[in-house]
Amino acid sequence: MSSRVLPQFDLLTPQSISEAVAMLAQYQGQVAVLAGGTDLLVWNYIRKLKPDYVLRLSNLDGLDYLNYVPGEGLRIGARAKVAQLLEHPDVAEKFPALHQAASTFATPQIRNMATIVGNVLRASPAGDCSCAILALGGQVLLQGPGGQRLVDIDDFWVAYGVTKRKYDELAVELRIPEPTSATRSAFIRMTRVHEDLAKLNVAVRLEMSQDTCSQARISMGCVGPTLVRLKQTEKLLNGKKITDELLQQLAASAQDEITPIDDQRSTADYRRQVAGVILRRVIEQAIETH
Amino acid sequence: MSEKTFVGKNIPKLDAREKATGQSIYAADLQLPGMLYGKIVRCWDHAHAKVLNLDLSEAVKVPGVVKVLGPKDVTQKNYNTGVLDLMVPEELGQLLGDIEDQRIFTDHVRHQGDAICGIIAESEEIAEIAAGKVKVLYEPLPVYLSAEESARPDAFQFDERKPGNRAFQLPEQMFPGNAYGWGDVDVEMAKADLIVEETFYLPKVKQCQMEPHAYVAHYDQTGRLNCWTSTQMPKCVQPKLARLFELPLSRVNLVSTTIGGGFGARLGMVFEPETCAMALAVPGRPVKVQSAREEDWVASESRHPGKYWMKLGVMKDGTPVAMDAHFTSNAGAYFTHSSGVPFTTGSWLTGMYKFGAIRYKGDTFYTNQAPSGAFRGYGNPQTNFALEQIVDQACNQLNIDPVDWRKKWHKGVGDDGWCIGVPYSSCALDECLERGAEAIGWKEKRARYANQSGTLRRGVGVGVMTHTSGAMPMLLEHTTCTVKMNEDASVVITLSCSDLGQGSHTVLKQIAADTLGMPMDEIHILVNMDAAGFDIGSHASRTTYVGGGAVIKACEDVKRQLIERAAIRLGISEEELEIEDRQVFARHDRDKRLSVKEICHTGVYNFTNPETGETNGVPGQIKGYASHFPGHNSPPFGACFAEIEVDIETGVVNVLELVIAHDIGRAINPMAVEGQLQGGAHQALGMILTEETCYDKKGLCRNNSFTDYKMLGPVDMPKLTTILVEQPDPIAPLGMKSVGEAGPVNPVGATANAISHALGIMFTEAPITPERILQALSEQKVA
Repeated sequence: MSSRVLPQFDLLTPQSISEAVAMLAQYQGQVAVLAGGTDLLVWNYIRKLKPDYVLRLSNLDGLDYLNYVPGEGLRIGARAKVAQLLEHPDVAEKFPALHQAASTFATPQIRNMATIVGNVLRASPAGDCSCAILALGGQVLLQGPGGQRLVDIDDFWVAYGVTKRKYDELAVELRIPEPTSATRSAFIRMTRVHEDLAKLNVAVRLEMSQDTCSQARISMGCVGPTLVRLKQTEKLLNGKKITDELLQQLAASAQDEITPIDDQRSTADYRRQVAGVILRRVIEQAIETH
Repeated sequence: MSEKTFVGKNIPKLDAREKATGQSIYAADLQLPGMLYGKIVRCWDHAHAKVLNLDLSEAVKVPGVVKVLGPKDVTQKNYNTGVLDLMVPEELGQLLGDIEDQRIFTDHVRHQGDAICGIIAESEEIAEIAAGKVKVLYEPLPVYLSAEESARPDAFQFDERKPGNRAFQLPEQMFPGNAYGWGDVDVEMAKADLIVEETFYLPKVKQCQMEPHAYVAHYDQTGRLNCWTSTQMPKCVQPKLARLFELPLSRVNLVSTTIGGGFGARLGMVFEPETCAMALAVPGRPVKVQSAREEDWVASESRHPGKYWMKLGVMKDGTPVAMDAHFTSNAGAYFTHSSGVPFTTGSWLTGMYKFGAIRYKGDTFYTNQAPSGAFRGYGNPQTNFALEQIVDQACNQLNIDPVDWRKKWHKGVGDDGWCIGVPYSSCALDECLERGAEAIGWKEKRARYANQSGTLRRGVGVGVMTHTSGAMPMLLEHTTCTVKMNEDASVVITLSCSDLGQGSHTVLKQIAADTLGMPMDEIHILVNMDAAGFDIGSHASRTTYVGGGAVIKACEDVKRQLIERAAIRLGISEEELEIEDRQVFARHDRDKRLSVKEICHTGVYNFTNPETGETNGVPGQIKGYASHFPGHNSPPFGACFAEIEVDIETGVVNVLELVIAHDIGRAINPMAVEGQLQGGAHQALGMILTEETCYDKKGLCRNNSFTDYKMLGPVDMPKLTTILVEQPDPIAPLGMKSVGEAGPVNPVGATANAISHALGIMFTEAPITPERILQALSEQKVA
């Protein structure tokens, strides 16, 4: 429910990462971190969180980078906007899944505000960039009072809205590994209208050798409490030549591996029916785009 | 008026710049000295409940709260937010069974969002905080979400005056058998070679006007109740408020604020009663009440959802011998438009085709959904969804081209119009069908898409419609207009017609400028309810047609007076004089002339020579006036063609193009007409593809915001081609016919038929979502 009453909180504006981490430690889990604000500043959401403090990253100038480091991959700072994914020439070429997710993500206005790391930290099962990132693989760099640690994206989401980040840690960077020349990736989402949260999204990263997939990562969204890897389906794909028959098997497997529900945006039945179709299409798209 | 300088031109809307740059002042923008803020406390957790106890004690204690009003602290009178009572004679209203069943604050919650009490405070925030401290003890009552449920014999009775929870059916005294139409349907149906029978389901769609309902009310020191509102119908809301609060009309002042979209959402009263009740409780201090979008959604009206049964009998050659139809609509929690919509829904049906016999029944049942009411088209989109699809089903089975069938069987000039007994005065539907079919490539695509395989299947569909220009003779049609000539011959036109954003004030100014033969920028339109006379309000696609008629008459009255005075001054008979270029001159001696400015100036600055006793002109400021009752309703027709593509693996529909050919009679402002058709198409596509207000089992709304309820956005809209067919209506002023309400009508049928053409499946339930398409495809094993 919308409201005219502003939530009550103190606004924290750290000038450095270490100050931010110190504040997170001091206020022990009572802090909501504000980056782009496209989720948090929808007041309905902040009312659910009821934070005593909002810590904004606006003065941490050093965190707005999005760099491609040859041999290493993408380095995405905590304040990098989704729009930056579309501006960076290497993203479209080397990380097509992420580029495609960013290009369909919300609206231009939201893309100019929302951060990529924020999308991951939101831990929504419908996150588009997150879906692509789960398929591409990666790590979240967390900085706490005792130093930094890397958490694999596969382990990062614990439950709806919950991540492995500890209260006294700040997510400072997202790392996405360098693709090889054999890497293919793609992303597809389904929505009711263009400007909407996904009712279903899917992304793949495939290591291809001729027509054979040596290794696959498949992520799907809106089919469970968090984004999920379809690991059973990946196994069916690994080491196989991609044929129409295999694609059909994968589609059937994907349907079995997900646990969708009915909600505002779609039905469990529909999601199950279509999951296999869009998995097949995203694989075809990944292969075709090269 | 042979030469048209402004009529027929693409004049930009007068308010476009203000609106686009954020300069328009809406009710929510108003700040008055000493203003307080009201909050309507609503029931959010129940759709049907009795209030057993209302504890306001904690709310009163919140610092900054000025007053808390419970149900007993405001007038005990009932009301009906709808305005049918002002539009039909009292006896007819009684016959239709119209009742007043709404209360300002209630102890019987009939839908989620029903108003329980009101808080008046020094700030909006304080009012909301206090609202959170109101403690209500509810006794839940059974919840009914469909007419079928509430019509059950053992169901809770909403109103003792309405047994069986049937708010309305066509009255037996007027319509024996509770039906209207003509011929003997049973006899004719029995002759049919083919009978197509279907039940259709219509969704509850919301107007989604941009401006949420907001008001300021002020019971001032002179004892006047002032209310700032963006209502579509100021001159109807004023007497309704006067009656509710027992004040003479002269002590109720309505101030029309910029309207941020109407579409029927502001037809009649919305939250004016609650706002005014609060203002009356704090005399001398203005009170502002704003509603959040979620509030607007659950507590204001929507389009009537319901079940539409239809049975069409045709001969092998396509002759439509009989139509039998029954629309059972869902009134929601209160009576409001329970008689108007189901009544009119049938008018659009009886008005469309030359059925040998037809029988239409319409009724309405109470439920615990938010009240249904007026929404652009007023029953017409509902009829279009059912009628246009069932016609295509018959055509398909008889292998008749749907365009050919429509050309042969649509009603036209001289046939009974949508209002039985009032014949159509003009009809350009054939030209609409021909030009539309040509533009979409009908014949070629219809044949090409007949047999398809593969994942993407295309289809083309057609839908036609007729509507009305004003609601005469069914409802009151009356607009007044005053044209005051200033001493410099510039003009102030005073009227109470609303401009919902459709550009009606622009169009009225164009008409006035041409009638008076002067530039638009020397004309000011004043909308002031104290100064202006009556106008029934902006509804039924009437403002250009009826308001325009009033403007023409009042301007002609000015011209008559100018000629009258010039005749005196020039000593030439009135018949000899005419006006051109702001000069009154003798037809046969153009040197004998007097400027309009001279006449107007000397009428005001009129001096008498003390010696001669002569004056320098004819005294008196010129004012033209019209109290206009139109003689007809000049219905427009239209044909829409849709081309779509369906992905049969996902059920996703991609609308490729809509061609909308509209029988406008005469386009006063072609760009504005196109805008109406485009905006209407947007709403129609929403109804047919994505939009529906949904409730959970408890009757709580599941999608009361734009996050959860999805209209199409700019990127989702297809290519739109509009064709304005101009065959002037012989009766209408300037030959013009309406467009506003027609907009969202036939893109509904055209799009549904296009989907059906692509898949060979008729969808009887809207919106036709990918979920429904995929389910139907799997049931029918289309591959």
